[in-house]
Amino acid sequence: MKAEQLRDEIRELNLAYLVLAQHLLREDRAQALYRLGISETVAELIESLTTAQLLRIAASGVLVCRFSFDEDLVWNLLANYSREGTVPAGLHAAILAAGQRAAAAV
Amino acid sequence: MRPKSLVDEAREIRLAGELIRLGARLQVLESETRLPRERLLRLYREIAGRSPSKGMLPFSTDWFMSWQPNVHASLFMNIYQALIRAAPVDSAEALAGAWRLYREQVEILRLEPVLSITRAWRLVKFFECRMLTMAECTRCRGQFVAHADDLLRGYVCGLCHMPSRAGKSRRAPPPTQH
Repeated sequence: MKAEQLRDEIRELNLAYLVLAQHLLREDRAQALYRLGISETVAELIESLTTAQLLRIAASGVLVCRFSFDEDLVWNLLANYSREGTVPAGLHAAILAAGQRAAAAV
Repeated sequence: MRPKSLVDEAREIRLAGELIRLGARLQVLESETRLPRERLLRLYREIAGRSPSKGMLPFSTDWFMSWQPNVHASLFMNIYQALIRAAPVDSAEALAGAWRLYREQVEILRLEPVLSITRAWRLVKFFECRMLTMAECTRCRGQFVAHADDLLRGYVCGLCHMPSRAGKSRRAPPPTQH
């Protein structure tokens, strides 16, 4: 029962994520690649998915999205920012996050 | 040099229009599009509802070195570089796109944009002529805007090593026109 519920939650999240990705890509391609942190090739694939394929992928039991930041420093800054609302921590996190996007896109 | 075809011209007018709406000065439009000056002037008046401000643009890399401008410039430049590396976009589209993402990020942090789009454009130009570069902070490994001819070994960014007065004001001063 518990496992079934978790699978449902994963499926719903996958579906929401894939639909959001398609929506972002249609809206502004360059910005979408930045926001999603995906390559042109992956973007083309996601865009070309039919509704049936979308549903099948969402129900595959695998999460299609993952956490964006590898470094714990970014997580610490983000956590501090939301707790204390300190501007420098928020800016620092934003710079490091954008920098990781830039490094990943090389 | 006029745009080659009507389609090119329409594209450039759309782009120039977006840059005007984002607050770009005329010099930015002249540099980023191939539309003739009188057309740009007309477009500017139609969209902004006034004549473009006259006068020289600020020409100094030093502005980007003081604490607050440096932090904002570094945020913009990280976004800009991620954008141009992720997708084949031309320079005007990258400028407008990166600046909108920068403004969005700053708004989320409830700050005012310190970098106008014209300043952002200057910043990109300073990078292109290699007067400015990105320096890696030895503590946080983030990339920050720095003078290209400065000694960058052992560089520590303004956020890892904050000057005592920096970041005290909750809201930044209003963005300058330049």
